[in-house]
Amino acid sequence: MRRTVTEMATRRGFLAGLAAAALPARMSWAEAGSPAFVAAGREGEGYSLHGLTGQGEDIFRIALPARGHAAAAHPVRAEAVAFARRPGTFAIVLNCVTGKVCHRLTPPEGRQFNGHGVFSADGSVLMTSEVVADVSEGRVGLWEAETYRRIGEWQTGGIGPHDMKLLPGGRLVIANGGIETDPTDRTKLNIDRMQPNLSLLDTEGRIIEQLELDLDLHQNSIRHLATHGDRVAFAMQWEGDPAIAVPQLGVWQPGGAVMLCPPVEAEAFVMQGYAGSIAWTADGARIAITSPRGGAVMLFDGAGAVLSTHRRADICGVAAEGSGFVATDGLGGIWACDERGLRPLAKGGSAWDNHLVSCRV
Amino acid sequence: MCRPLLAAIFLATPALADYREVVEGHILPGYAAFAAATDDLAEKAGESCDAEALKPAYQAAFDAWMAVSHLHLGPADEKGRALAIAFWPDPKGLGAKAQRGLLTGDPAALAPEAFADQSVAARGLMGLERLPYPDEPPAADPCALIRATAGDLARMAGEIEAEWRDGYADLMLSPGAAGNASYLTEQEVRQALFTQLATALEFLADTRLGRPLGTFDRPRPERAEARASGRSLANVRAELAALRDLTARLAPEAADTLAAFDRAIGLADKLDDPVFAAVADPQGRLKVEILQGAVKTARDTAVAELGKDLGVSIGFNAADGD
Repeated sequence: MRRTVTEMATRRGFLAGLAAAALPARMSWAEAGSPAFVAAGREGEGYSLHGLTGQGEDIFRIALPARGHAAAAHPVRAEAVAFARRPGTFAIVLNCVTGKVCHRLTPPEGRQFNGHGVFSADGSVLMTSEVVADVSEGRVGLWEAETYRRIGEWQTGGIGPHDMKLLPGGRLVIANGGIETDPTDRTKLNIDRMQPNLSLLDTEGRIIEQLELDLDLHQNSIRHLATHGDRVAFAMQWEGDPAIAVPQLGVWQPGGAVMLCPPVEAEAFVMQGYAGSIAWTADGARIAITSPRGGAVMLFDGAGAVLSTHRRADICGVAAEGSGFVATDGLGGIWACDERGLRPLAKGGSAWDNHLVSCRV
Repeated sequence: MCRPLLAAIFLATPALADYREVVEGHILPGYAAFAAATDDLAEKAGESCDAEALKPAYQAAFDAWMAVSHLHLGPADEKGRALAIAFWPDPKGLGAKAQRGLLTGDPAALAPEAFADQSVAARGLMGLERLPYPDEPPAADPCALIRATAGDLARMAGEIEAEWRDGYADLMLSPGAAGNASYLTEQEVRQALFTQLATALEFLADTRLGRPLGTFDRPRPERAEARASGRSLANVRAELAALRDLTARLAPEAADTLAAFDRAIGLADKLDDPVFAAVADPQGRLKVEILQGAVKTARDTAVAELGKDLGVSIGFNAADGD
């Protein structure tokens, strides 16, 4: 069960002391207690990054200087990069065994982090979702992941990139949300002419394929991604007339077709046009999207057919766990989720932020 | 001997009075009245399809819906019921299109079980409105469709009422009880009711008033809700009254919020523009804009005051939007 912060901090401090004395700073996830997930949360006025078991139990908690959004887990080392909420001025590399900040990443002059990032499969490079602050043009920031030195950047092929994920062969798929924002306050500047896309980059950063939706969906911002094998499931947020029902989920096979997956008619507005997170089970059989605005999680099968819908206020974070999912909400709840419903795993004092990030890379 | 015992019971429960009062004094009676009003409408439709004979029962059913239309919790949101009961706004005219199909198609679709599976856009109060209040002559005799729609509406109202009475009310009144996965704490119940209030005020300002207002350069009076039955302003007034009632039961000490409601209700009462036709001229538009501003103020006041008094807020993630 969960330990108190003080106990954890003390124990962690003790272990950290031992570790620092005996070992170089190369610790595995096993040494961090093998968390299944990391998630950002708010406790009172403070923010932190948590490591959680597959049953929603707190393993560690590390303070953050401001509200987090998503995180990236290193594939080997017990390191997580916590990204600030947009417009992001910082990302923090945390040692999840010691709780210490290993590195602070600041975007180069004129760039802002956009809340998401991903490590290369071998863990040697961190890629961050960024914009050129003045014009919201997308960039992938490249950071060498030993010393976290900036080593370059690529074009994302669109405006306002958000989530990005690796595909087999080291290819990178990026959700260019299409929204140009004011660099200081997130005000949306181009809703009437936005044009989101999915861009596929090769290992050299060349754009090898792009997907745009039909014109009548140009206001459906593509924001979050989950992958299964070669396929990409994408979750969207509708910026058009809220009285028009649109899909929140699509599945794209690069080199092939895209499939849009609308809810059933009776549930056309349950998500309020807004999907906040997405996850796909490892067996490929189930996709989950969440809507904190609609207070719902909607499950689809791997072919995009609706399976079921469950209600929970402010639910947003979701990650695959076995053949189902774990989901988190802003009221502090952590839930096991499958077709049958939501089952409470834990309820505590942390308001869970948008994303629950799997550490099992 | 009874007196001290009763006193002890009352003393033990004041902390529950807030949301219990909403469930027992606002929600359950509201759904019971809606079920009764739709039963009456279905009965009247069974007796006669004459438009003039139906109109009073239709208006009464819509009035009853407006007392609960803000509740998107549990049974009303199951099976698309609330969406079917009041499918609005409908910018693509899906309802009229689907309804034409029902009017001229296979009558088997009008049998109760088949009708329940028809498009949500064609059913409910907005579907029914087009029949006694047609804006063009119907393509066929609407009598069977009137009866099917009224019967389906009464069925949905009855199901919502029964599911609240026989289950969902208990979930709201027993937060944290074993097996209650809907509400884990009392605070979650308050939060859920507060969310209904805030969301409904936003819908009122942005949609019920905002859609006909359109923009200054392009006012859209034709987009007002329930214009054919002349209910656009009446719906705003009824919903303001319902939301004030919810607030007064959830947070009777919330003086600023209740005063903000009273101001908005006063403005709506004085407005002489039943279907917001005057939004097309600057003077008339200004009055509706002032009402819209008062509704937004009521929403902001509720968020601030109830947020502090009840410890509730707009959702951490819902409000973040990323």
